[in-house]
Amino acid sequence: MSFGSLKSLVAEAAIRGVTEARANIFGHVLNPTGQRSSHKILRKKLIGQKVAEWYPYDIKKDDPLVMARQEQERLNKLEMLKRRGKGPPKKGQGKRAAKRNK
Amino acid sequence: MRGKLSKMSEKRNIRDHKRRLLAAKYELRRKLYKAFCKDPDLPSDMRDKHRYKLSKLPRNSSFARVRNRCIFTGRPRSVYEFFRISRIVFRGLASRGPLMGIKKSSW
Repeated sequence: MSFGSLKSLVAEAAIRGVTEARANIFGHVLNPTGQRSSHKILRKKLIGQKVAEWYPYDIKKDDPLVMARQEQERLNKLEMLKRRGKGPPKKGQGKRAAKRNK
Repeated sequence: MRGKLSKMSEKRNIRDHKRRLLAAKYELRRKLYKAFCKDPDLPSDMRDKHRYKLSKLPRNSSFARVRNRCIFTGRPRSVYEFFRISRIVFRGLASRGPLMGIKKSSW
């Protein structure tokens, strides 16, 4: 039994030496005890740029005439609704607001 | 095809777009603070300070608040990340042809 433990001790020491040498060469960060460290967060790549580029650029924004026309159409529609009495209610008059204030 | 953008989906998409921009802007700082918080080797008051700073960042700069919406319809669910479109739009487009290399599989 002592032979077995001696052999395992030697083997462990050898493996430890190898891992330390490897970390030294390649610049790895070692954590043999497995404690919490901030390395896990810091080693991930930055994804902010990719996340921000999800929506494609709307080429209609380049042409001010088209934007003006769309805006005009939107206002016209709103005015039509208001004329019929269907526009948005005043502040504090909507369904939920009335219920809350009652 | 993208001429027909309804108003409701636009608003949601605009909000989501704002969140994405904020997240990209604050990302580096956020990561730094978080990493500092969790490092066990630092003194406890420094960790508290960083945790406080992390909590002070605007909420909309968190990546968890960003949702991948369909760019055509604004649907928040069942959006394929590869195409950035929802399953309904995908089906229509795929049948019509503009999607490169997509065809109905049968084997």
